[in-house]
Amino acid sequence: MAYSQPHPRLSVLSNSSLSSVEHLSPTTSSRYSIPSAPSINTALGTNKQALSRPNIYDRNLNKPRVTDVSGAAFSFLFSEIVQYTQKRVSGINDLERRLNTLGYRIGTRVLELMVWRAESSSKTPKREIRLLPSLMSIHTQVWRAVFGKPADAIEKSVENADEYMIIDNDPSIERHISVPKDMSQLSCSSFTAGIVEAVLDGLGFPARVTAHNTPTAQFPTRTTILIKLEKSVLEREELLKQ
Amino acid sequence: MSLHLFVLSPSDTPIYSLTHHSTKPVTNVPSPLASNLPAWSTSAFAGTLTALSGASSVPHHTTGGTVRMGGGQDRHVIQMIANASLDVVEDVMRKENTMYLKSVDKFNEWTISAFITPGNTKFVLLHESKNDDGIKSFFMDVWELYVKTMLNPFHTAHTIIRSGVFDARVRQSAKKYL
Repeated sequence: MAYSQPHPRLSVLSNSSLSSVEHLSPTTSSRYSIPSAPSINTALGTNKQALSRPNIYDRNLNKPRVTDVSGAAFSFLFSEIVQYTQKRVSGINDLERRLNTLGYRIGTRVLELMVWRAESSSKTPKREIRLLPSLMSIHTQVWRAVFGKPADAIEKSVENADEYMIIDNDPSIERHISVPKDMSQLSCSSFTAGIVEAVLDGLGFPARVTAHNTPTAQFPTRTTILIKLEKSVLEREELLKQ
Repeated sequence: MSLHLFVLSPSDTPIYSLTHHSTKPVTNVPSPLASNLPAWSTSAFAGTLTALSGASSVPHHTTGGTVRMGGGQDRHVIQMIANASLDVVEDVMRKENTMYLKSVDKFNEWTISAFITPGNTKFVLLHESKNDDGIKSFFMDVWELYVKTMLNPFHTAHTIIRSGVFDARVRQSAKKYL
């Protein structure tokens, strides 16, 4: 028999009171008679387990009204991430690579979600298929989605045709980080580089993306995200030009 | 009439598949291949061809008999057709900038429509009748559900989608639009 009224936790957390009532519909209620059943179900990964909790599929993907994450909370989290990672690596390169990997996981999600928010209401949703518009959208849209402001500049390398640079004068994730002198090579923006790499990968422009400190007198934390595209990308661009 | 949906990860491994039996009325397209073959045909290829032609309009021989051709409803034939369409999809997606690629490929009675998400995940749908708007709405629903799945930190682009809720929602949408 189902509970006579919705579980208090559900009624607080789920989006609508309606959905929490749904969760207790007769089809799923039988297992409530055995107290231990839900945890067993979860362990086995059966299909019904998710129904008892508010789940992501009930939520709205569009931006909530309050969109900003607390800067202090993020700085704290990010500093913990860096410390955690640093304890598990042997050198700066390794640390940057790990931060990059963590950023990559964010990037794949940012890309899907960002484009969904922009395109899902359009009649014919579009993808980026050309390189330059994609880079521009990283410079503006991705930066805006992640950091709340567009990046400061995007440049093409003069020496190498396959290199592009996105420049952020004051990366918000590094605002509260001062790198020790003996690790001056380290750029915590490798995390951002990972995000960029994931977005480029997703759009079909595989590249190696790294972060470098390029301080100027005016902007001591100025950071350059260096994008080195794979050869296949340039060849395809050549073909598409014709 | 049945429809088959495959969700493919960026490396083209299937992460979700669904067979939906539509209840919507179909304007039956006569099967060109089956009608070209005489009913009494004893050609060695007749069975294979009928199977490959893959339409439900082809009479089935599956009930109880030893002959099991399944009119192309066989899983492996469906998978092969879906797989074969990937070549065309990949060609088209380099040139077309729309996510919804309608009727990119045809294989006898099967029409293949695809949807490419920005993260390069592909939804491939095998269908027999023309229903562009319905399919588009269906794809949009699946996309939303997929984005939500992606947001789960335990999910990567290559994880097989096992969520029961995802499955239920996709079926619900299929029932509504297809």
